[in-house]
Amino acid sequence: MKRLTRAALALAATLSLGQALGVTRGGQMVFGRYADSLFLDPVLNDANLDIWILTNLYDTLLQPTPDGKRVQPGLASRYVLSKDGKTITLTLRPNIKFADGSPITSADVKWSLDRARNPDNGAWVDLLGSIASVAVSGNTVTVNLKNPDPSIIPALATFNTGIMPQKLFNAAPGKNDAEKAKAFAEKPIGSGPFVLSEWKRGSYMVLKRNPYYWKMGEDKKSLPYLDTLRFEIIPDDNTRILKMQAGELQGAEFIPLSRVAELKADPKINMALFPSTQVSSVFMNNRPKLKDGSANPLSDVRVRQALNYAVNRPALIQLVTFGNGKPMKSFMSSSTPLFDKSQKGYTYDLAKAKSLLAAAGYANGTDVSILVTSGSANGQALATALQQMWGAVGVRLKIEQLDAASSTARYRANDFQMRASAWTDDIADPSEITSYFAVAGATEAAHTGFTDPTIEKLFVQSQQETDKVKRAAQYKQIQTIYTNASPIIYLYETPYPVALAQFVKGFNQIPLGNNIFEKTSIEK
Amino acid sequence: MHSSYILRRLLQIIPLFLAVMVVVFVLVHLIPGDPVSAILGDRATPDKVARANRELGLDKPLAVQFGLFVNQVLHGNLGESINLKVPVVRLILDRLPVTLFVDVYAAVLGVVMAVPLAVLAAVRRNTWIDGLIRAVFQVGLSLPVFYVALQLLTLLGARLGWFPIGGYGTTFSEHLYHLFLPALTLGLNLAAILVRTLRNSVIEVLTAEYVDFARAKGLRSRVIMTRHVLRNALIATVTLLGLNIGGLIGGAVITETVFAIPGVGKLMVDAIFGRDYPVIQGLTLTFAVLVSLVFLATDLIHARLDPRAELS
Repeated sequence: MKRLTRAALALAATLSLGQALGVTRGGQMVFGRYADSLFLDPVLNDANLDIWILTNLYDTLLQPTPDGKRVQPGLASRYVLSKDGKTITLTLRPNIKFADGSPITSADVKWSLDRARNPDNGAWVDLLGSIASVAVSGNTVTVNLKNPDPSIIPALATFNTGIMPQKLFNAAPGKNDAEKAKAFAEKPIGSGPFVLSEWKRGSYMVLKRNPYYWKMGEDKKSLPYLDTLRFEIIPDDNTRILKMQAGELQGAEFIPLSRVAELKADPKINMALFPSTQVSSVFMNNRPKLKDGSANPLSDVRVRQALNYAVNRPALIQLVTFGNGKPMKSFMSSSTPLFDKSQKGYTYDLAKAKSLLAAAGYANGTDVSILVTSGSANGQALATALQQMWGAVGVRLKIEQLDAASSTARYRANDFQMRASAWTDDIADPSEITSYFAVAGATEAAHTGFTDPTIEKLFVQSQQETDKVKRAAQYKQIQTIYTNASPIIYLYETPYPVALAQFVKGFNQIPLGNNIFEKTSIEK
Repeated sequence: MHSSYILRRLLQIIPLFLAVMVVVFVLVHLIPGDPVSAILGDRATPDKVARANRELGLDKPLAVQFGLFVNQVLHGNLGESINLKVPVVRLILDRLPVTLFVDVYAAVLGVVMAVPLAVLAAVRRNTWIDGLIRAVFQVGLSLPVFYVALQLLTLLGARLGWFPIGGYGTTFSEHLYHLFLPALTLGLNLAAILVRTLRNSVIEVLTAEYVDFARAKGLRSRVIMTRHVLRNALIATVTLLGLNIGGLIGGAVITETVFAIPGVGKLMVDAIFGRDYPVIQGLTLTFAVLVSLVFLATDLIHARLDPRAELS
């Protein structure tokens, strides 16, 4: 009798353990997006609306790890970097197929990479600038570099190197690559875990599981677990949340940070805050003269530092992000690879701010103006809070509200004094944000006009430095110089707020923003 | 019906169309910002912007661009959306029916709400019923559309669960069900405008001499109501509906955003923010033609209902 009970208990325990380990297959997930995708081509797209879901349709040779900081094998099961850092040899997995069942060949890989690095194609070519040639034989892909490039491995895990079917693409109607891309992207056949089955622009998009996807789930069968992933486009935040609360959605992105606490308290909802690479800062015009010829107090480093010291970040984070942010310590996010943990950013120190302003000759304060996107509640709250904080040291902030496109036109013409901005990395490497924020380059350090000879030199070195320790040291120095020079106002980092039904498991949004649905399941 | 009159009115749309074409083209190119920077944002290097502008033909002189645009339109082609990479005609054909559906639905609901209440208010003028009807709609008129939309959505959609929250559905009956709340939002606004005017026009008729005469002849009040009063009420309604078509299109922008309806209102807003010139131009031309046709239809119906209205 006793033995029987024990056996029964053991059996029950095993069964429940089995359930705990098991994953439910099938079903549909409806996910609310704030806006629809524009163009589902991995190479020619420009917007996060595309980038953040593209890897569900097109797999890459390598993939970012779930924490977004390193890479893991993708369509290639292994990769080897040569000693001189100038050759990468990748081995393709056996029997990999596109979503229509046709084999993925090394020729498709070569063609996809060559297309992605063609200088005529799109905004992402620079990520592959170091590639001299791509050679293939059998299931081996050899990427030859012009010079060692530490960011090339992460680049092979970035959306723009998604592998596409050469034959199907070329069979699409159109006279040239751009036209064929438009036709192909209407109903793409890719190599990712899902395949597009229906798309009513501006309304919904239906993705079906790709039965030929190579990756295996916990049950040793191929991923994804979901049969159907349906994106519904719901532009209004309140409506998206109402639909989530009513159970009409199983997930919803871009929950306003002001509503996070309320959804956290809802027992049916798992209010997830995924770590991101998003940094919010204020870019300052560092030039001696403004566009209209007037003198610019922000060209004095002491003024820029003073303004940084006069920002009460904890208060700002409460006000604007409702406690869902953390102070920026470096110009790059703490989720960006090679972020230097010893960076301090700026503390709140009014006395220091006042003495710096006095030393710069502005004991009685000065006037500055900031560009803010109209209609953005966050931008409004931020600018108003800064106005208050800087008012305490005599700096009078004028808020100029413009729509995004007008504001972009203004700062691209260097016609601004300050502008609020948020940035997210696209590649798991610090070079992208650094080339934009800190290096003169084509966009004059985010149009600030800031330039520093040591940073320029270090950046060039770091772009070819394959020794990880040395490269980390270079980046540490870049971050320190940048903070001291203070071309920007350091604000905060914010997570990606995604509301999920409690029974949805295995969804991830990595710090680069990619929405990963391959392991998502419905566990009711 | 005077067919020569209709033809003349239709022909009048052509110069209007040309004028709109010029004005819109000039306006969209006058707003600061360009589609390429708008979409590339922070990552736009001067080279990339220049190349994209070249590809899109945006580097050509404005006069040349305008010539190309006119030439396109004459061939029945409205170009291709810069941001969505699809023909503008297809976008409009896809989404215009949705907006028209909501607008017609709203007009029907508005009339159904307004006419009986306006007549009731007129017949019981200066009683508490009249006061209540007028007060309720006065409040309705002063509330912003987005607020009404959100309240209806929260109460009837989320709280009571009578209606789905947003969306559009696929079949006709689903459309009716899904689009009830947005149509009600716009319909309430329309009804508020209608009630005020209708009430006054009904009072005018009720106190008119010919109605007294009809009563003296011993006509039953129901006959008087339908033959005289409602006929006149209808004239006012049709005129007001015609005049408010612009308001309906404007209201569509807000309701389509709140209720997640894939119509042309939302398309227009996105196009303006993204500086998607071809879409803005194509939609404006479409609106111009639509509004002209509605005005024409209004005049014709008005003439049919009111023999005194001269078609000139």
